[in-house]
Amino acid sequence: MQNRPSGFGNPWLQLTLSVLCVFVSEFLLKRGATDVAEPDSAFSWTGINGLTSPLVWWAILLIIASFISWLYVLRYIPITIAYPLSRVVDVLVPLGCWIFLGEFISTLRWCGIALVVIGLALVAKPVAQIEERL
Amino acid sequence: MSFLAFFFIVVSLLSFVVAQLVLKKAMEFSAKSGLHNSRFISLISIGIALMTISFFLTLGLLQRFDLSYLYPFQGLSVMIITLMAAMMLKEKLNLRLTIGALLITAGIVLVSLS
Repeated sequence: MQNRPSGFGNPWLQLTLSVLCVFVSEFLLKRGATDVAEPDSAFSWTGINGLTSPLVWWAILLIIASFISWLYVLRYIPITIAYPLSRVVDVLVPLGCWIFLGEFISTLRWCGIALVVIGLALVAKPVAQIEERL
Repeated sequence: MSFLAFFFIVVSLLSFVVAQLVLKKAMEFSAKSGLHNSRFISLISIGIALMTISFFLTLGLLQRFDLSYLYPFQGLSVMIITLMAAMMLKEKLNLRLTIGALLITAGIVLVSLS
C-alpha cells in the first residue's frame, strides 16, 4: 500500500462513505422502482421506466457520489481487500429491510448474515494490523 | 425464478465484475500516469458503461423481486472479483483473504437462498 492522504482524503473514510451512499441508495431504488412498477410490460425488464421516479434520481446521485469515492479507494487499496470489505453493505441491506421495510428475515438468512460478518472480520483484521504499524 | 430472470441476474453480475476490474486497472494507471491520457479515459469509460448496463438491469429486476432476495446475488461477485484480481491484476492473495472472501460469498448466497 502506498503513502496515503489523511483526513477527508483517508481512503478508509472514503470506503465508509461509499458504503453508506450505496446502503441509502438501495432503499431509494427499491421504493422508487416499486412506485412506478409495470410488471406486465416486457420493456420494463430494462428498468428504464424506473427513471420516471424522483426517488430513483436521488438514488442515482448517491450512486455517483459512492462511485467517485470508490474510484478514490481503488487508487490506494488493493481490490482484493477493498471489495470484500465494501460488501458489508450486504449485511446492512437485509438488516435495513428488516428494520425499515418490515421484510422478514428467516433463520437461514440470519446464518448467512453471520457468515458474512465473520468473513469481513477475517479480511479486515490484517488490514487493522498493517494500519497500526504505520 | 424464471429463465429470463436468471439470465438478467447473470448478465448484470458479469458486467459488474468486469467493470470493477477495469476501473481498478484505470485507477492504478492514473496513479502512475495522471488523469489526462487516452488510455485512462478509455478504461474509465468502459468501466462506467459496464456499470451503467448492470445498474439498469438491476433496476428492472428490482421491479419484480424483493430487495432482500435479489441484492445478495451480488455476493458471488466477492469471490469472482477476488480471484480475478489475483489472476489478472497480480494482487497478492493469502489464505486469510481467500477464506474471508469465501465466507462472505457463502454468507451472501445463504441470505439470497433463504
